[in-house]
Amino acid sequence: MPATDNQGSFLNRISIRRNQVVSMDVNHEQELEDLELFQKHVVDRFSDLVTTQPPPPTAADSSPDSALMPADTLLSIAWFRKLLDAFLCCEAEFKAVLIMGRDPTQFAKPPLDRLIPELLDRTVKALDVCNAITHGVELVCHWQKLAQIGVTALEQRPIGEGHVRRAKKSLNTLLTSMTFDDKENNSHGGKSTERSWSFGRRGGGASVNKDRTAGTFRSLSWTVAKSWSASKQIQAMSSNLVAPRGGEPTGLALPVYIMSTVLVFVMWALVAAIPCQERTGLATHFPVPRQLVWAQAMIGLQEKIGEEWKKKEKKGTCGLLEEIQRMEKVSQSLVDFADNFQFPAEAEKVEEVAAQVTELAEICQKMDELVPLQQQVREVFHRIVRSRAEVLDVLDQVGKMSTPVLY
Amino acid sequence: MADFASPIATYDCEQHVFAAAQHIVKALGASKNLNDDVRRLLADLDTHLSTMTIITETESRGTRELEEQLKFAQQKIMSLESNRAMIWASGHEVASEYLQAVYEIHRLSESLRSLLSNRSGKQKELLEQAHIVLQIAMERLEEELILILARNKQSFEPENMSFRSCEDDVVYEESIASNEDDLIEDTPQRDSSSTEPEERIIDLVHPEVISYIKSIADVMFASRYDQEFCHAFINFWKDELDEYFAVLRCDKLSIEDLLKMEWRCLNRKIKKWIRAMKFIIRVCLASEKRLFGQVLGEFGSVCSTCFVEATKGAMLCLLNFGEAMAISPLRPEKLLSLLDMYEVLADLLPDIDSLFSEDVGSFVRTEFHELLMRLGGTARATFMEFGNAVASNTSTNPFPGGGIHHLTKYVMNYIHPIFEYASTLNLLLGVQVGEEMVEPIGTVDWQNISLKSSCPVARHLRWLTSNLESSLDNKSRLYKDGSLKHIFMMNNIHYMVRKVQGSELAIFFGDEWIRDYTGKFQQHATSYERVTWNPVLCLLRDDGNLGKSILRERYRGFQAAFEEVYRNQAGWFIPDLELRKDLRISTSQKVIPAYRAFSAKSFPVIGDKYIKYSADDLEDHILNLFEGSSMSLHSTRKR
Repeated sequence: MPATDNQGSFLNRISIRRNQVVSMDVNHEQELEDLELFQKHVVDRFSDLVTTQPPPPTAADSSPDSALMPADTLLSIAWFRKLLDAFLCCEAEFKAVLIMGRDPTQFAKPPLDRLIPELLDRTVKALDVCNAITHGVELVCHWQKLAQIGVTALEQRPIGEGHVRRAKKSLNTLLTSMTFDDKENNSHGGKSTERSWSFGRRGGGASVNKDRTAGTFRSLSWTVAKSWSASKQIQAMSSNLVAPRGGEPTGLALPVYIMSTVLVFVMWALVAAIPCQERTGLATHFPVPRQLVWAQAMIGLQEKIGEEWKKKEKKGTCGLLEEIQRMEKVSQSLVDFADNFQFPAEAEKVEEVAAQVTELAEICQKMDELVPLQQQVREVFHRIVRSRAEVLDVLDQVGKMSTPVLY
Repeated sequence: MADFASPIATYDCEQHVFAAAQHIVKALGASKNLNDDVRRLLADLDTHLSTMTIITETESRGTRELEEQLKFAQQKIMSLESNRAMIWASGHEVASEYLQAVYEIHRLSESLRSLLSNRSGKQKELLEQAHIVLQIAMERLEEELILILARNKQSFEPENMSFRSCEDDVVYEESIASNEDDLIEDTPQRDSSSTEPEERIIDLVHPEVISYIKSIADVMFASRYDQEFCHAFINFWKDELDEYFAVLRCDKLSIEDLLKMEWRCLNRKIKKWIRAMKFIIRVCLASEKRLFGQVLGEFGSVCSTCFVEATKGAMLCLLNFGEAMAISPLRPEKLLSLLDMYEVLADLLPDIDSLFSEDVGSFVRTEFHELLMRLGGTARATFMEFGNAVASNTSTNPFPGGGIHHLTKYVMNYIHPIFEYASTLNLLLGVQVGEEMVEPIGTVDWQNISLKSSCPVARHLRWLTSNLESSLDNKSRLYKDGSLKHIFMMNNIHYMVRKVQGSELAIFFGDEWIRDYTGKFQQHATSYERVTWNPVLCLLRDDGNLGKSILRERYRGFQAAFEEVYRNQAGWFIPDLELRKDLRISTSQKVIPAYRAFSAKSFPVIGDKYIKYSADDLEDHILNLFEGSSMSLHSTRKR
């Protein structure tokens, strides 16, 4: 058999490491140490994510001081970049704890024989969530462009009705797009939906504008099947998430639980923040036991986000992303301004609008970070794929040791 | 269509003059004295000016004129605004005039803005007016753009794409009746590539309207409404791509669903995906790229940015299917499909690299490259996994009759189509474990190497058959009868040799392998004869003793042994006619002469009534062996 046929790269590494270890006790101590370190790092990373800042300002006409807010306000793009970084770090460390230097036969014994397949199942669901988020970010980029048109129009001086109309048109499209309901969206995703471009006010049919707006939403239907629901996905990921009990010999069960919780939390936060297909009841889908020490920071974050979600859900929010929320408010306020506009504008009004336009411009600028965020989401996707493969590899080795594969 | 040429040139010229004049005034203000030359030049200019209709003679006169021009252009635009017909549908002349009027409005608003230094109320009012009209015109043009696109998009008929949806199994109504669907079945047949849609660029919209679309782009860009234009244009094509997916019956499924899908269904989806990939990338995206170039080409990077924005979502959806396949559990039946997927990606790599060559497209390009690598890895792992699975395949019961084990059949049929994938597999198998996959295609001339029996595919095929052989060897140990063990091995190895000889794979295995394995099954045949017949023939050995009772005893012994062999072996099976014949003949050549020699000497002594079989009877029996059906040995004593 040629050398290339050797698949046991993991096992080789493992056996080398095990030979270096003098006795099982030392091995066990090492294991405990690794575990503690992993747990500590998870705590540290999530503590970093807790910001002392209050949630995003509630009034659109609040002072433009918001531009001075730190970059990593809770649920901002910058915050999500940090969150995904934290996830990637935790994940790398988790993999080391789980795979490197461990006896792979543990995978075949309780409790891992049940926990690992559950973990793998969760990761597949996470991949679909990542995909949905990637497409959701696309939609937000699209909003950014519409907002940018509003900024361009209202930055003109002297501000005239032509500019105001221009801004109003694009911001209205933006707001309609943002408040588009999931269910409606679904019906548009169907290929059976006959689009009637041949209408318009020239054709005397439905308004062009309405259909065009619908068109912007079709982009969401790129994601997955019509029946796919982000909310159900998160629910399924967390439903079998049970903390290992204190008395049991936990071993690797704890890090598996910790990593699963981190995974579900990250996916849950992304789904809450970024437009996604079907998110009803999201807030209730992810209970973390309160008493866990390592999870305190995460529980705090989860509570805050959960409250935000409950507040906004009834209004049919398009996502808790801080920039989206602010964009929506500022845009709404600018549309109100546009509705009551009369030429020439009063100096006072112009000044007020100028401040809002500056804020919108600043939000748009922050949204440039969506591109790297999207890339990071892809990185998370690819990382999960790779780790999954490595875990399967170990399972495969274990499987070969115990039962031969029959064809 | 030159009708839509922009009047921007005159406008530019005016600006030049304006700037130059300003410059002169400034220079004159700076100097106190003028020499003669300058004086003469200025005098010249003066006469020039006096012969021209002067706009700037007086401020108010200029404004009045601008006002008139604005009114004129505004009328043009507003008259069409109240008209409910499409501008384009009203004829080229109308459309051209409309566009001219829009340019005029834009020019006027620019002029007004530059005159606005003294902030006269009237000018402000006019500028405001101009902006409103411009906005009305822009909204109208955006609408017009979408209508033009929607009404003139060419509905394509994917003539050589026949798609069947997995769920209902109904032939797609609009497809030309497909022969290819039959190949989708599990036969390890490769789709013939001759029927694939070839690279071609189609007209996504009627060529007649492209210049009109371009003129809309031009005027919107000139009026700084480029964002609106791009937004509408991108969205339209995004939706169109979505529509193509529907036409191609390419359902969007989650990775989770794909991983759970039953193989036959998934296999059909793979075939569809492969065609969709080719069609979307080679035809749709290539055509879209051309159209974007025609419309937006002269606006620089905007063109590629728009193209990427319009296509990224569709590409991610297509790639996602591949990702799902790449992480799905390794199953041997997936190998060829994975290789097909890998090959189509490798094949499309240059297309992707050129479609998304710019920086903005690097996201798509990277994802594509990554997927290619991952699929390659999965295909390779599937092949290796298969080899290992063959080696570790165990049975608990001996295979009845010693015939061809289904594992042998499976393996040999499995590798049969590999020849066609040899260059791809060579590439994938040539990579060492843990090494990063090298960029495929073009780096090494695998085509050449693949012709040798030392290439990676050849090595792996021989490794696979040696795994098979040792697995068979293990299975043969389950037989209690040593002879049957040899028949089993002979049958199976013979089957392997014949399969290799009868296919293109022979060049990978090489003459040496064929000689080697031919020797092996012949050895098993010889061993069979030895193990079965030597003890039987031993009874006929002439030891010089001619005592009647001894001879009778030995003959009875022989007869019993022969019948025992026959009873045992009549149910054994050699499926290959040639091999069966050969073994019967060589057996009879071993047995019959010995029997004849014995009978010549002994029969007279033993006496006729003790003789059950003539030499011919025996031969008949031997020539009936290995049919696989137990026939009772009846006395064929005919005298």
